[in-house]
Amino acid sequence: MAITRIGNIANTIPDDSIQNAKFSNIVQSKNIIINGGMDLAQRGTSQASITSDNAIHTLDRYRTRLTTLGTWTQSQSTTVPSGQGFATSLKMDCTSADASPAAGDRLFITQRIEGQNLQYLKKGTSNAQSLTLSFWVRSNKTGTYICELYDQNNSRHINKSYTISVADTWEKKTITYDGDTTGAFTNDNGNSLECAWWLGAGTTYTSGTLQTSWGSGTNANRAVGQVNLADSTSNDWYITGVQLEAGSVASDFEFLPVDVNLQRCQRYYYRINPNSTSGSIGSAAYYISTAVFTMLEFPTSMRTSPSLELATGTNYYNINRNGDNDQFNDFSLNTSNIDSAHLYTDSNVSSTAGFAGRTRFNSASGYVAFSAEL
Amino acid sequence: MEIDKITKIYFEGKVVSYDITYIDSNFKKSVPINEANTDYQAIQEWAAIDGNNITDPGA
Repeated sequence: MAITRIGNIANTIPDDSIQNAKFSNIVQSKNIIINGGMDLAQRGTSQASITSDNAIHTLDRYRTRLTTLGTWTQSQSTTVPSGQGFATSLKMDCTSADASPAAGDRLFITQRIEGQNLQYLKKGTSNAQSLTLSFWVRSNKTGTYICELYDQNNSRHINKSYTISVADTWEKKTITYDGDTTGAFTNDNGNSLECAWWLGAGTTYTSGTLQTSWGSGTNANRAVGQVNLADSTSNDWYITGVQLEAGSVASDFEFLPVDVNLQRCQRYYYRINPNSTSGSIGSAAYYISTAVFTMLEFPTSMRTSPSLELATGTNYYNINRNGDNDQFNDFSLNTSNIDSAHLYTDSNVSSTAGFAGRTRFNSASGYVAFSAEL
Repeated sequence: MEIDKITKIYFEGKVVSYDITYIDSNFKKSVPINEANTDYQAIQEWAAIDGNNITDPGA
């Protein structure tokens, strides 16, 4: 990744004018947003019946924050702006309307960003860099929408509006946010910055004045003027080509190889799906006669020790050892670190302590995932 | 999804993780004891609410 980026920059610099200064701000990827092209959806490509929630449903890294403002289907769509190189978009489809939001109702899509990836922005200093957000968007619902940057370390935010001018037509939007000379991002693996696209809000979030310069967190100033995308089941909203970058100019979208994109996503979420009704999960051994450890390593180091997520069900999993199988229903996490995990099963398994085997799926409905989301 | 139950998971006499199950769902989380894990943070917040109790089956 770094070689590609340096290569692109080097092509724009005359051979006789290369200076160290030209490379002083090179980072691995100019796009702070991960999965900006909406390419990866490890959890699945569609989720219906989303009501109140704070979770990632489909596209990797994109969290839905919804408080009783309609019911939604979120999906990875193949509706994309023509001729721009994108294959997929994130779609929000209203399936149950709420034309009169209560005060505290809200809906936005957000991506959380680690502070240690943002230090080069120099936030909280006199040299704080501006940020430019660009994306393609489409909706049948024209009008004003709000994009927000929220500094979670210092409870500060800045909110800018954009307008969808023509119904059912892709439009490219570019928004520049000033640098913030107050409040540095914490240099760790925690949630420092959220980039959010508001889709609807009650008066708790709309009754003030839009916070168009950085300021202390005030809910009333976060979504002033935002249309209510939840007011009709005819409404939908698409987005793709999301890029957030340092500076005041939106550069061309940075298309990354799929392996690089996947590696960036798997820092936060890694999922193993069945291969039909089988497929390997990990190597295993009977720790005692009635308990099995399954050991597996992650394809990339995760943000922090992850949680195990899985579907439980009768005989969803099995351990295959020499000449026999034990079928079982679920696992628990025994231990995890950023690079590996040990899973533990102590029901429905029985053999000789020390026997080795392999843990596999035994149902198309099973899956095992690891989450270190922000 | 609404949390149904959070249970301490023991191994060799020590709590090593927390299992979370949800109402009307076969989805399960098993969460390490790790302050930087947001699920672990959510467990602490859930347990701090009056009436919510983490199930302790004992070692």
